[in-house]
Amino acid sequence: MESLKLIATIALAALVHFIGVRLWPDFARAVDVFLVLVALHGLRGNSLSGLLVGLLVGLLQDTLTSGPFGLFGFADTIIGYVTARLAQRLVIQRPTGVLALVSFAAVLQQAITVGLAFLLLPAPETPSPVWAVIRAGACGVLGMAIYIVAGRWRNSSETRRRGRMSRLRLG
Amino acid sequence: MDERRTGWVLIIVLVGQLVYLAIQGARAGETRLEGVGLRVLGPMAHGVASIPEELSGAREGVKLRGTLLEENRQLRREAADLRLQLLRLTDVEGELLRLGNAVRYPTPPAGRIRAVDIVYADHTSWLRTLILYTGEVEARRNQPVLSPDGLVGRVVHVAGPYAKVQLITDRAAGVGGMILRTRRQGVVRGGLGTGLELDYVPLQADVRPGDRVLTAGIDGVYPRGIPIGTVASVEPGGQLFHRINVAPAVDFGTLDQVYLLEYQAVPQTLKETSPSGKP
Repeated sequence: MESLKLIATIALAALVHFIGVRLWPDFARAVDVFLVLVALHGLRGNSLSGLLVGLLVGLLQDTLTSGPFGLFGFADTIIGYVTARLAQRLVIQRPTGVLALVSFAAVLQQAITVGLAFLLLPAPETPSPVWAVIRAGACGVLGMAIYIVAGRWRNSSETRRRGRMSRLRLG
Repeated sequence: MDERRTGWVLIIVLVGQLVYLAIQGARAGETRLEGVGLRVLGPMAHGVASIPEELSGAREGVKLRGTLLEENRQLRREAADLRLQLLRLTDVEGELLRLGNAVRYPTPPAGRIRAVDIVYADHTSWLRTLILYTGEVEARRNQPVLSPDGLVGRVVHVAGPYAKVQLITDRAAGVGGMILRTRRQGVVRGGLGTGLELDYVPLQADVRPGDRVLTAGIDGVYPRGIPIGTVASVEPGGQLFHRINVAPAVDFGTLDQVYLLEYQAVPQTLKETSPSGKP
């Protein structure tokens, strides 16, 4: 059930990415939906699951780029692991904490991919610093928005479940 | 699993990926994993790409009659002009063939073109890509990709009905180019941003802004004469060569369909053979 949910989430992220790029050509430059997914998954605190999901999502993302295959796979593996380890050590309960964590993950991912590109490619182009900042901010905001919506949805479903249980007891 | 073991798993996965990246760089070829990814994401991108077409079809349906009549008139005029141009070019082609036959010049075969849809395009980020849906007839690796305005790139990966294209604006791409006015040849590479650079043109060569740049047909991938772009600026780059910036002929942001050129590229084995005959 858990893996099915994960596959559905990855498919949804890919769909959002395709629709975004179709509607706004700069979407892929401004927001990285796949990175947000990896960082939010890492927030659960399971580092093994974080690194494996990072690897899978990163390799899928590599399919959509012209760089060496494995560039994002490598970066997202580290992102998945690092966010999970951070989530184990820090208590992240506020949405602003999520914003900071996902933004940090976006900066780290760009640093890793650029570093690897310089190692592997003959004449690599670096992403523009302005877009790097926009990307980090946009990813953070998206991550925070998803965290808030998911939290509310979890709370309301929990309230509904409790209501059903109390009715059952009364009945 | 405890954190220490997970740390080991991370190290193994990262080292594995680094080795994979290094091997891939040395081979510079296709990867099986990439093909799997393309087969998984391709249909999804194709589905998303087909939605706006249906919407635009509905929008066309409610277009005003007057606009359509004007459009129709304009297209008729264009078709008449093109028919005249075709007649003139057919005449020129016949003359060229006759002259070629007279001196036994082996004219390169003119390739046929096939229209294909773009299902995913990311031409703005630093790792630019184009994914095509080619239908039942698969694309070939290194097949040139064109638009009515000029050269778009070449196919670098094929996975069933989907093909990934390396754009000419990619930093890793290289095209044999020539300046139409002087026939001076050089190598066109992706520049910073979405522009192009024409390299290896000596300082003594005459290059001016506004000069048209075409494919030279010397790289074994692209045939001669496809428009690449126009020289935007010329600066003295170093002691030997000009620094030439070229504006691409194609506006990559407006592409929704491209053409695959059925062109027989120079076989790789022939390209790798040394003058002495030893590969």
